[in-house]
Amino acid sequence: MATGVDRKAASGTPRLRAPLLQRVWLHRVDYLYVAPALGVMLLVIAYPVYYTITLSFFKTSPSLAMADSAFVGFDNYATVLASDSFRDTTMNTAIWTFFSTLVSFALGFGAALALDREFVGRGVLRGLLLVPYVVSAVAASYVWRWIYHSDYGVIGALATALHLTDRPINFLDNTHTALASLIVVNIWKEFPFAMIMMLAGLQTVPEHLHRAAMVDGAGPWHRFWHVTAPHLRGVSVVTLLLMAVANLNSFTIPWIMTGGGPAGSSDIWITQVYQIAFGRVRFGLASAYSVILFAAMMALGVAYVRALGGAKSARAE
Amino acid sequence: MRLASARRAPFDAWRTTGRILLTLLGLFSGLPMLWMALTSIKTQFAALQYPPEWWPKDPTLDQYAALLNPSGDVGREFLTYLWNSIWICSTTTALGVAVAAPAAYAFSRFSFPGRVWLFYAVLLRNMFPAVVFLMPLFILMRRLHLVNSGWSLVLTYLTFGLPLSIWLLKGFYDNIPVEIEQAARVDGATRFQAFVRVVLPLSAPGIVATAIYSFIVSWNEYVYATTFLNDDDKLTLPAGLQRFFTEYATNWPGLMAASFIMSVPVVAMFLVLQRYFVRALTEGAVKS
Repeated sequence: MATGVDRKAASGTPRLRAPLLQRVWLHRVDYLYVAPALGVMLLVIAYPVYYTITLSFFKTSPSLAMADSAFVGFDNYATVLASDSFRDTTMNTAIWTFFSTLVSFALGFGAALALDREFVGRGVLRGLLLVPYVVSAVAASYVWRWIYHSDYGVIGALATALHLTDRPINFLDNTHTALASLIVVNIWKEFPFAMIMMLAGLQTVPEHLHRAAMVDGAGPWHRFWHVTAPHLRGVSVVTLLLMAVANLNSFTIPWIMTGGGPAGSSDIWITQVYQIAFGRVRFGLASAYSVILFAAMMALGVAYVRALGGAKSARAE
Repeated sequence: MRLASARRAPFDAWRTTGRILLTLLGLFSGLPMLWMALTSIKTQFAALQYPPEWWPKDPTLDQYAALLNPSGDVGREFLTYLWNSIWICSTTTALGVAVAAPAAYAFSRFSFPGRVWLFYAVLLRNMFPAVVFLMPLFILMRRLHLVNSGWSLVLTYLTFGLPLSIWLLKGFYDNIPVEIEQAARVDGATRFQAFVRVVLPLSAPGIVATAIYSFIVSWNEYVYATTFLNDDDKLTLPAGLQRFFTEYATNWPGLMAASFIMSVPVVAMFLVLQRYFVRALTEGAVKS
């Protein structure tokens, strides 16, 4: 067939280049539509990535002038990877990400399932549940700091009034409770995201399949497991990945509420990098740290793109 | 139907569980916001009571009056932050839509080489840790003499918003039949004219959703604002709140009032246009 011949001819390397350039030239006007977006992205993304990688091989001076920087090879990487604080912070980040993501997802999914039927006040309730997601993380952090306050905090006062403790609890200044307290705030902020994602996913489940299953005598659990769940696989994976990445990148809540303290007990990757870069002004070291995180994030990024592709092809079937 | 049969059941354990979960989540979501509002109408003295006043005994709007009074010290500072936030976020949103709309259109309609790669590059932006960009951008902004200027934030937020804006708008364009444009082309319009006069107006809901989303994201942004801006009169609300907090450390009602004012525009905007907003968030992951 004609197309088969064409494909064979095009697969030879010398002939492939010309058609590509030709196609680019043919579509030259199309690129104009993308050019402004691409220009901004190149300036504010490609350049920073390149610059961070460069900086990570230098010992920088506090003046941030490259002329005062000394090339140190992989020293910065070695320093980061060998430090105790990196290990502790990685542990904290893992705990933070794991629990924030899973609990938020479970709560959000549960809420989505409960909201996926008509009842009076459904819209209002959905709106209320989404409010934490829209409120700025800064405002939320201050509100929760006030709620957790060691002397006048409302949770401590409630616990005392109910005789659960005899004096107010110190949530944030305690190495045992700081990280867990922050995770609660993060869940508060994040479960609505899982909820709307899963609600949107539930909308894609064909109603007729439910009816067919019901005719066959399937109970609610069976219908959920055999009809709903398979349709939600794609959106669940995407949601979990997006939330995991967001949590690995968290900064505002821990930074404002505890600043990583006390004694580093709530320090996670990003708060620590920020401290190294803008507290101790060691950009070289912080850059090496960022590149390490960047690599970890890229792995998740590839998974994200794969999941998107997978979700798409699953739907096409 | 599924709904009808659920109602016919005498006792539906699933439904009851769902109701309980929703009630608890409603309390979990709402109570912190309620406590913020209640604290903001207390006097400083009343806020620091132990055990706390569960309901303010003599509510007062003094904190709000102080924050919004342009002739007072606190008010002048707060209103400056508010104004900075407003102009930075509005500019970002307007520019963002202007840049994203043609790009999304190209991704939706054209098949130029590299299209798929470009598109994933745009999306991958969301995967990078913010700090990767923070340090080099800080240095870049210093070189461009934009440190301490709101424009550094406009430029940064613009790229924040772009990936999702493009992705979302592409979804809206995909739903607009190509035949409509083709009709316009037959009538003598150029491709770009067809885009501006026919496709853009039809995608108005998508543009509104995109605009709200990018406005809310930049309104709430903290990391870049607190790093790029130093002068007190340049700060945005999220960055300024911290200064306000450290300076008036014990004034919790004032801080809660400021947080409340900061939350009102985005929550109101969102509640009014909830449908579009939810669509904006879920479009990417769920749309085929």
